[in-house]
Amino acid sequence: MGPVPLRSAIGGGLIGAVVSIYLALVGLTERFSDLELVGEQVTLGRVLLVLPPFVAAYVVTRPRVVAGVRRVPTPAHGAVAGAATGLVSIGAFAAAIVFAEWFDVNRVRQVFIAASPTLIEFVTFERGLAAGIVLLIALGLVSGVAGGVIRNASPQLRSPLVLGIAATLLMGLLQRIIPVAMRELGVEPDFLYEPSGGLTLAGGIGVFVIAVVASALWTRSGPAARERARSTVREQPATRTALLVVLLALLGILPLLVGAVISEVLGTVMVFILLGLGLNIVVGYAGLLDLGYVAFFAFGAYALGLLSGATLNTSAGAAAPAFSANLNFYIAVIVVVILAAGLGLLIGAPVLRLRGDYLAIVTLGLGEIVSILTQSRWLAPLVGGPQGMRGITDAEIAGYSFRAPQHFYYLALAFVILAIFVSWRLSSSRVGRAWNAMREDEQVADAMGISTTRYKLLAFAMGGAVGSLGGALFAVKIGSLTPASFEILVSITALAVVILGGLGSIPGVVVGALVLIGLPGLLREFEEYRLLIYGGVLVAIMVLRPQGLVPNVRRMRELQEDEVTQDAWANPKTEGETEETYAAVVAGGRLGAEPEEEIDE
Amino acid sequence: MSDGTHLLELRNVAKHFGGLYALSGLDMHVNPGEIVSVIGPNGAGKSTMFNVVTGLYEPDDGAVFYRGESLVGLAPNQITRLGVARTFQTVHLFPNMTVLENAMVGQHCRTKSGVFGAVFRPPSTLREEERIRQRAKEALEFFGSRLAGYRQEQPANALSYANRRRLEMARAIATDPTLIMLDEPTAGMNPTETLELRDHIVRMRDQLGFTVLVIEHDMRVVKGVSDRVIALDYGRKIAEGTYDEVANNPQVVEAYLGTKAAG
Amino acid sequence: MATVTDPPTREVRMGRLERLPWRRVILIVLAVFIVGTVSIGALRTLTLPEGQRYSADAWRDFVVLGIAQGAIYALIALGYTLVYGILRMINFAHGEVFMLGAFAAYFFVDAYAATGFLDRHPLPALGILLVVAMAASVGVAVLLERVAYRPLRGAPRLVPLITAIGASLFLQNTARGFFGAQTRGFRKPEILQGSWTILGSEMPRIRVVVFLTAALAVVVLTLFISRTKTGKSMRAVAEDAEIASLMGIKVDRVVVTTFAIGGLLAGIAAVLFALTFEGVNFSMGFRPGIAAFTAAVLGGIGSISGAALGGLSLGLLQAIGPSLILTGYHIPSPFQLKDAFTFLVLVLVLIFRPGGILGTGEAEKV
Repeated sequence: MGPVPLRSAIGGGLIGAVVSIYLALVGLTERFSDLELVGEQVTLGRVLLVLPPFVAAYVVTRPRVVAGVRRVPTPAHGAVAGAATGLVSIGAFAAAIVFAEWFDVNRVRQVFIAASPTLIEFVTFERGLAAGIVLLIALGLVSGVAGGVIRNASPQLRSPLVLGIAATLLMGLLQRIIPVAMRELGVEPDFLYEPSGGLTLAGGIGVFVIAVVASALWTRSGPAARERARSTVREQPATRTALLVVLLALLGILPLLVGAVISEVLGTVMVFILLGLGLNIVVGYAGLLDLGYVAFFAFGAYALGLLSGATLNTSAGAAAPAFSANLNFYIAVIVVVILAAGLGLLIGAPVLRLRGDYLAIVTLGLGEIVSILTQSRWLAPLVGGPQGMRGITDAEIAGYSFRAPQHFYYLALAFVILAIFVSWRLSSSRVGRAWNAMREDEQVADAMGISTTRYKLLAFAMGGAVGSLGGALFAVKIGSLTPASFEILVSITALAVVILGGLGSIPGVVVGALVLIGLPGLLREFEEYRLLIYGGVLVAIMVLRPQGLVPNVRRMRELQEDEVTQDAWANPKTEGETEETYAAVVAGGRLGAEPEEEIDE
Repeated sequence: MSDGTHLLELRNVAKHFGGLYALSGLDMHVNPGEIVSVIGPNGAGKSTMFNVVTGLYEPDDGAVFYRGESLVGLAPNQITRLGVARTFQTVHLFPNMTVLENAMVGQHCRTKSGVFGAVFRPPSTLREEERIRQRAKEALEFFGSRLAGYRQEQPANALSYANRRRLEMARAIATDPTLIMLDEPTAGMNPTETLELRDHIVRMRDQLGFTVLVIEHDMRVVKGVSDRVIALDYGRKIAEGTYDEVANNPQVVEAYLGTKAAG
Repeated sequence: MATVTDPPTREVRMGRLERLPWRRVILIVLAVFIVGTVSIGALRTLTLPEGQRYSADAWRDFVVLGIAQGAIYALIALGYTLVYGILRMINFAHGEVFMLGAFAAYFFVDAYAATGFLDRHPLPALGILLVVAMAASVGVAVLLERVAYRPLRGAPRLVPLITAIGASLFLQNTARGFFGAQTRGFRKPEILQGSWTILGSEMPRIRVVVFLTAALAVVVLTLFISRTKTGKSMRAVAEDAEIASLMGIKVDRVVVTTFAIGGLLAGIAAVLFALTFEGVNFSMGFRPGIAAFTAAVLGGIGSISGAALGGLSLGLLQAIGPSLILTGYHIPSPFQLKDAFTFLVLVLVLIFRPGGILGTGEAEKV
């Protein structure tokens, strides 16, 4: 196996097995057993079966340092090691299946509700236990070999192959958008997609080949050409404006392309982009971890309802709220945003002096208080209690109503563009600079003349304003409100969106929302597992890539630095040599690692 | 040098942490246009005194006056705005911001554009931004070519150690202070850099018109810049005067070297 | 050489308005408002006309409930406080450690309920229950530390906190996926049903047992921390991990031990909780988790007595507070707002006394 130790293969394989068993027991494998990705045979469930051996083999066959020398396994080594890993992975999983069957699946089911005869059937490809297990193991073995080989193929082959697989799977997952869009454009998608399923076999192969070739060409063109392409985009204003125009045009016709159902999902995505942008100001720019963001969302929604003439749902029909006004949506929205900024000040004030973790918990508490109050009997005369409100305005202008999904999209788009503009302007201004400084080192920023109190409050106010905008939009979209929509889940989703996309990155928020809201929205099967995926994503991102998917360049450096240097001065207990020496040593030690060490002239 | 009214004055200042008195009964002052050095062994309370003056700690007793106004109870950013700038014993830059941005932060307390200006960018805001850039560059150029040119767009933690110290000083200079307080500015520098910095300190007074209060261990620097030297030990002043007076004061020698050496 | 072009602004004076200690003023006003609201509310509740008032028995029940609930909070709070003391991080997922311990105990009970084992030999059965729950909780806690927290030891503080939140979500929904969303019933053994007559009043047996068990656990833990070598290492690492490692203490091992002890206590709490409320559910860890954290902060985070004191105090506050204060204002269903009340307590503690009752915490930036 070359440089890959057997121990590692076995260990990796066992971890792969644990993952497979986990996926099966938590219900994912079976839930996706019908989701066809390519043709009829390649379902997401089956992909989940062979993915752990593949990934395990891919990781296990990485280059290793043996006796001080970096050794890269040959593809042959990779194949053997991958085979071993895959075998262990799928073998242990298969053993678990056999055991469950022997022990009686229905008894296992009393503990793990996902263990069922249907699951066993699925795992054995409906061919009975013996044949099924053999087939399973064979597939796992092949998968492991593939993982090991691809990992150690020449770099020019590796990325394209991996990208090809990913692209094919992604296209399969997008089976509810792309065919619809194609039909709208007048193209019959039959060659690419099955009538109600994933890619056709030919389509799948086609996508794979195209992705591989495109990726190979891109890699092959060499770093210079790539850098040229990137810098043209980045620096030439003409190219940038052109791209921007194309993007806006695309966004403009999108609802017509994708139809009503998907426009509805996009509408929700937009609402969460707004929430994400607002939270991005608080967490991303100012560095204040706010876990109670739902407060602004709820405030925006209910306040809009109250100010624009909505009524309460009671068992006796509609009732008037204790306080209400009947303003035009566009005026009400302005009032709501201003009031929300005030709420932001109120929420920010108690947390000014608190450290990161405490800030988080307190804001969580404040968010929960709002959440509880929306369903309380006490405030029911105002906001309708568990039954909520109805009759929210549809933001009509000159007879054009925005309630329908395809129309709402445009309203939301307008607000999103506004919020993006404001966020962007803020980040590249004196205010943004103050936030950056405060986030990097609060005490020093204070010492340099930045009033941390003011800027923290400002962050909460701005963040609250944008968040409430999201809430108001949400109210218009749904037309009625119930407390069930205003639980901690919202705060966590918003946080996940910002984290996944990249703290402090506006494009990141958009990407995060698309992935975390768009995907589950499109594929109903994911709905049930949304929170599980959010949790896993948060952990994975923090451990693997804390700067997010579309990182803000500055933050990338920040999140990878050692926290020790930041805090060493901020907690002086007594003046003493150990404190300063330690800090100086650490500073010196880090300098030693700096590749850009200069020699003073 | 003294014209009767002190720029900075500490009266009977005390500060303790738990049972440990970092400062007790500290009386000292700085007059406008002076360069005053503060010396003393480790643990003498020098940095604590800085922290008390700049508002990071509140004194447990005593008073701190700047231009006749009390500084006690003010937030650090307010004190900076009054015209007191400082550097830190271990360099505390904003590591991921560029060199220029670090200096621009210094100008924050002298400018005022807020959210409205940020979003709408009226001419007044644009002018102010330009002015901030300009002053930041001037502050950086105080150190000559070392912090000029391409360096200004590099992240601050890409700089060499000496340049980081200079950047921190430039940032302090950019706050347009009247009194600038430097905490061991030459720590970790080699002899050439140290001498260069000594000249910089004098230039701060002569060219920029600052009053300078320096904590220093390197006696060559202390000798070369100081109009007056104040020696601290155990949180109180044990000697004050010209360099020669203080250096030969037996109490000071004892504090640094122990009783035998003083005798 | 650079020269200064504009003369810098040097004549800045501090206005009288700016000198006002705003923060102190606001705090005082707020304190007065709160004390006023609370006192008036309490007074009105206690002076309500005969028919609307709570009886003395009702109050006594509240107190008993509060103490028992508080004991459970204390046990969970200890887990938070120990981990915070060592790592300065809030183990957001500790509530799930608790929840999974409860599930483990449930499955054991479920397996033996039919045979009546629980009723015939209650003491050994309960003992095994505790062991099972503790084992599960310890396992989860240690796994958490290893997978989610250890790789992030040196990272900026935001990172482990977010990871903890993610882990909490993940574990909760894993339990949902594994075991389903239904609440599973957890039957009390006969010996714990009914009440005992203590000091002339009827007290539900389960609540008495909860309190005694928790008290015992706290005592054992205190002795452990103060007398044993491991306990000393834990205290050393909590003071200064760097120096402790220089003294030869294996910091990693101490961290694992801390998580394990936290898990142990959470397991005990899980059994007690499940027996009290006769049910387990995948989301049962969330609110008690936050309440327990509030308790730890309330008492003074980082200290064992703080966690214990905080737990009891919070339990009592939760049980008595809403009824006592809100009823006076004719707020309907005050008990519905008990969680909101808890969070409010947390916010107020962190505003007015971030160090907690015992003053040992360090929530504020220096």
